[in-house]
Amino acid sequence: MAHPAHYREAHPMVFVLTHWINLIAMVSLAFSGFYIHYPFFAGFMGVARGMHFFFMFVLIINLTFRIIAAFFVKSAVSLGSREVDTDIKNWLPQKANRHQFLAWIKYYLFMKKDHPLGAKYGVLQKIAYIATVPLTFVMAYTGFSIWGPTMDWSFFSAGAGWVGGYMYMRVIHYFLMWVFIVFTAIHAYLANVEGFAPSGLIFAWKESEGLHFDKEGNPAGGKAH
Amino acid sequence: MAHGNHDALYSQLAARGVTRRDFLKFCGSIATLMGLAETAIPQIAAAVEAAALTPRAPALWINGGACTGCTESMAQGMTPDVATVVLDLLSLNYFETVMMAQGGPEMIPGYQEGVVEAKPELTAEGAIKTMLEEGGYILIFEGTVMTGFGGNALRIAGKSQTEELPEICKNAAAIVAVGSCAVDGGWVAARPNPAEGKGIQQFCKDEGIATPVINLPTCPVNPEWVVAMVIDVLLLGQLESGAILDKLDDFGRPSLIFGQTIHDNCPRRGHFENGEFVYEFGSAEEAKGYCLYAVGCKGPQTFTNCPIVRWNDGASWCVESGAPCIGCGNANPLSPGGNWVDVGAPFLNRMPDLPIAGTTFQPSTIGAAVGAVAAGALLVHGIGMKVAGRMDGGAPYEDVRAHDRKKGGGK
Amino acid sequence: MARVVVDPLTRIEGHLRVEVEIGADSKVSDAWVSGTLYRGMETVLKGRRPQDAFYVSQRICGVCPISHGHASTMSAEDTYDLTIPNGARLVRNIIECAQYLHSHVLWFYTLAALDYVDPLKALSADIAATYDLALAVAGKYAPAGFDVRVTDFGAVQKRVGEFINAGLNNNRLSIFTNGWLGHPAYPSEMPAELHLIAVAHYLEALQVQAEASQIIGIMGGKFPHFMTSVNGGTTFVPTEEKLDDVLYRLMKVVDFVNNVMIPDTLAIAPYYAKDYPNEGIVSSAAYGAGCKNYLAWGVFNDPSFELTKRYLPGGVIKGLDLAAGVIPGLEDPDPSKVMEYVSRSWYDSADGLNPSDGETSAKYVDYDVNGKYSWGKAVRYDDLPMEVGPLSRMLVAYLRDTEMQWPDGVRTPKQLIDLTLGALGSELGLTGPVPLAALQSLLGRVAARNLETAFVADLSVASVLELVGYVKEGDVKWFEPHSVSDGKGVGMWEAPRGSVAHWMTVEGGKLSNYQVVAPTTWDIAPRDKEGADAVRGPIEESLIGAPVMDPERPMEVVRIVRSFDP
Ligand code: HEM
Ligand code: HEM
Ligand code: HEM
Ligand code: SF4
Repeated sequence: MAHPAHYREAHPMVFVLTHWINLIAMVSLAFSGFYIHYPFFAGFMGVARGMHFFFMFVLIINLTFRIIAAFFVKSAVSLGSREVDTDIKNWLPQKANRHQFLAWIKYYLFMKKDHPLGAKYGVLQKIAYIATVPLTFVMAYTGFSIWGPTMDWSFFSAGAGWVGGYMYMRVIHYFLMWVFIVFTAIHAYLANVEGFAPSGLIFAWKESEGLHFDKEGNPAGGKAH
Repeated sequence: MAHGNHDALYSQLAARGVTRRDFLKFCGSIATLMGLAETAIPQIAAAVEAAALTPRAPALWINGGACTGCTESMAQGMTPDVATVVLDLLSLNYFETVMMAQGGPEMIPGYQEGVVEAKPELTAEGAIKTMLEEGGYILIFEGTVMTGFGGNALRIAGKSQTEELPEICKNAAAIVAVGSCAVDGGWVAARPNPAEGKGIQQFCKDEGIATPVINLPTCPVNPEWVVAMVIDVLLLGQLESGAILDKLDDFGRPSLIFGQTIHDNCPRRGHFENGEFVYEFGSAEEAKGYCLYAVGCKGPQTFTNCPIVRWNDGASWCVESGAPCIGCGNANPLSPGGNWVDVGAPFLNRMPDLPIAGTTFQPSTIGAAVGAVAAGALLVHGIGMKVAGRMDGGAPYEDVRAHDRKKGGGK
Repeated sequence: MARVVVDPLTRIEGHLRVEVEIGADSKVSDAWVSGTLYRGMETVLKGRRPQDAFYVSQRICGVCPISHGHASTMSAEDTYDLTIPNGARLVRNIIECAQYLHSHVLWFYTLAALDYVDPLKALSADIAATYDLALAVAGKYAPAGFDVRVTDFGAVQKRVGEFINAGLNNNRLSIFTNGWLGHPAYPSEMPAELHLIAVAHYLEALQVQAEASQIIGIMGGKFPHFMTSVNGGTTFVPTEEKLDDVLYRLMKVVDFVNNVMIPDTLAIAPYYAKDYPNEGIVSSAAYGAGCKNYLAWGVFNDPSFELTKRYLPGGVIKGLDLAAGVIPGLEDPDPSKVMEYVSRSWYDSADGLNPSDGETSAKYVDYDVNGKYSWGKAVRYDDLPMEVGPLSRMLVAYLRDTEMQWPDGVRTPKQLIDLTLGALGSELGLTGPVPLAALQSLLGRVAARNLETAFVADLSVASVLELVGYVKEGDVKWFEPHSVSDGKGVGMWEAPRGSVAHWMTVEGGKLSNYQVVAPTTWDIAPRDKEGADAVRGPIEESLIGAPVMDPERPMEVVRIVRSFDP
């Protein structure tokens, strides 16, 4: 039993909201994207495209907001702690993540018994969360390259020419969907495999007790303050 | 323009059963293709009249590795008909498929042995020679440039075509690449491109030839576009002014013709939006004219104005006959593998087959396979986590980071 | 002995080189025909889907894409053991008919006519006399008479005159540049007025062939390269409106064929069926026969889909010599008897393979008529070169006449041939018809094509009417749903220019082999082996013995080659 405590400071309300929006947008985009890719039942194309076009903006705006907010909102510096600092510092790699990459890999490959120490998040988790940002922007770029109103902007059409035409841009966009699906699956799995407390926090803003950690991500013992 | 000249033109037209009305209709369709307003019709009419009454503009129609389909297609143009193009607008001194002359210098007995001079005035090949000296002609190129086997994949007049082609390209005022083969090699250049075909623009680039190239893809070319370009280039003097080049897009295509997708202008588009699809050919859905997206229509990523100009003098076009667009107008002049076959096949699927390890796969197969592998891996991992007893809270935390311990830190 | 090479041989589809040796008697003593283009269709198709072959393989030829497309779908349907619905059969037949009408009209007027008609001579025609002659010809041969179409011969003459005058002195003769205007092989007895009529019809034919392809436009999406005859049937669902449109255009074409093209043929033919010793002209009915083996896979399916019951039926005739009275039995065609030889062609694949196991492995070496000299493979049937095309089809249909079930309202090939030979006989002042043997010649090959046009005109009307009735009944199937299955198949069909077959092997849902034997492959075939006993291909053989009056302008040679419509 090695739950860290989950306190609201880890995910302030705004981020619970952005995460919800993110989730809804992603699910909508993936579903409508699947449908646009092949209309597996009749009568839904207009809605599917409408959904896709709506949520692609939602996703982009939400992500942009999330990034900006990271510079203003304070969040817990590590799990199991109520100590806060500007969120971006906790989002990007922290001092406590250093040299832990191999340890995390080994842990997940069952080559290491102890749970490695992290900071706000473990190394892999951090890489994944950071990666969602460029990934989403690439997704947006490929999406706008095949979107009627923007496809002939030279910023986008140049890319289409570079990848060998609009068809290949579609193929890339389609593949990226699978990348997101795989990311989300792994993300949801890892977030929940050791218990549902993290989900309780990120979705319902519900706190739960557990181990405490200090600023440096080291076990602190006792309760957080 | 003197009134007498008007009459001369109209009597010429009348000889072919073309009325003034037809003529103005023709000018109107040219205006549409060139993206000009109706107010430009008199200007076009004047230009055409002037051209019809002055010496025909010199031109060569050269066939590379072609199926002759683009020539055939030209013959299907009705406004104006091919006779007008060939007799009044252009002097196509070389045009293999319809020209009266034949043969090259080897036709003259004794030439090969070196005892007799070539007699260019008796041969088809001679017509090119004379034109090369004159220069300044329009080169209409049909078919793929065949570079395979040292150019011997296509031999003309006893030598490889690529031997003479650079000079023909160099001395031209402009090159009009008709049909996808001429633009980027077309199907001939499709994987594995056994005869090493390429488009004429790529060929010119490789040979360091700067002659401007106007690309008119689709397989075959739509004759109306050729006529519009010829008139644009020739009659409205856009070549000299350079204005024509400003009208070309990144792919060297006239943006007015190739600026919108088929899907943008498709009459079945309403059904697309409503999600009303043909899932099986010849079905009740097809009888209702539903959208062909689900049977692989490439309209959404094919940039041509086929739905507007249509084919065979407007008789119909692919989608109207129940056939999904195969994207034959997809052409990437300078990008190998961008030809419409590699991009569009399998034509009845939405996305191309991608070559991987000597065979091909659909993107959906690849995507689903990656997804399945990930899901499988997570499942196996999950079982591992369960077995390792980590499901409930994970393993106990290490007390200090391995790296810190090595450095002597920690507890 | 003189060597004469015609390269490029123009006014054909594609690129062709013809080399002949002219003997001391001014006759062709040997000939080599070389296909000079290799594109590698078969290699491109490998690894792709069988359903794509229809779209890609028809692009072998822009003049007969319909037939290649049909052969391709039929090979897939053969692989899947699939029968297309009757509605699709009719739609495909009509599209194919339209291509025949288009192609034959285009061939006769745009490609071949300039070998028999001199625009320069048309300039000296008397306009009034032209009308008289046109009336007389129409009166004799045009069922609808002359008044249905009035051509302004004066305007045509003026236009051509102005064109030639304006073009002559400044190198602006366009497609007539360096043409053999005024060649002595045009018999001087043929009146200038007839030249003018033909020139006028040359221009009119351009409209007519386009009209014919508009029918394909409607039912096939576009032409050249059509879209609808997908594996399993057709994507085209006819409506009464569309069929009205088809019929309207078709009637214009049929009218032209019957009232212009056939009368023109009968008016011009007599001048080419005679010897003019003073001018050194030998009758075109006296040479150009060729290998005398004829192959037809058959075209235009009847409801049974059997090769020998097609409206132009399949059949093989080996060694037909009508002049000598040798009429061998007619064999049913068998695709397994097709063999391809490459020892004289630029390939290094194995020799003598049947296309179902065929290989395409290109390897170029220098052009050498004593070695390898063509990109065309030497295709043989039962080890014999075969002439394919309208002459073969008309001969097979002629021999099968009595066993056939002809559709209502068509003139059969036998009726058309007999009628024409009779008319020609009286034109030439013979007591009876011209003997059937005249078909085995340059002139016969040209005539067979034009008569076939008349047959197809009748057939197309009958087919459209049948389809109209069918659509009115309602509840018609156009497409047979199916899944791709592995196996081997062959689709045999006829393009306007001759027999075409596509072979495919499907493995794992993809094409592991694809082989095409196009009509031109048969006719332009080179020799099949090395050495003296190598057998010439059909065109090569047909050139042997042809007279050449002017070796610098070998008109007879180009006429013979073009008569195959290669
Ligand atoms: C981030 C911004 C995004 C933009 C701007 C965008 C834009 C688009 C556009 C314009 C289309 C073409 C729709 C049509 O032409 O009807 C499309 C298709 C598609 N989108 Fe997105 N999208 C975005 C995100 C996503 C995401 C996150 C996913 C999946 C997770 C996704 C999956 C798909 C799929 C599968 C298709 C169908 C592609 C095809 O088969 O042609 N998209 N997207
Ligand atoms: C199946 C759906 C999802 C579940 C169950 C889920 C669950 C969670 C949980 C439990 C956390 C908190 C992790 C922790 O505190 O250790 C989290 C955070 C996060 N998730 Fe998800 N998630 C889902 C979908 C997504 C998607 C689709 C994305 C983006 C593409 C995403 C991006 C993030 C990010 C960036 C964070 C960090 C929180 C923040 O800083 O905003 N999640 N998620
Ligand atoms: C179960 C609830 C409803 C259903 C199934 C429904 C369905 C529809 C449908 C099918 C249309 C036609 C859309 C189109 O194709 O143009 C429509 C139009 C419309 N609906 Fe509803 N509707 C519902 C409730 C409402 C409500 C609650 C309101 C307003 C308070 C509303 C206001 C409208 C309006 C303003 C239009 C546009 C009418 C027009 O064409 O000018 N609908 N609705
Ligand atoms: S048929 Fe093709 S081009 Fe027309 S709406 Fe449907 S997908 Fe678009």
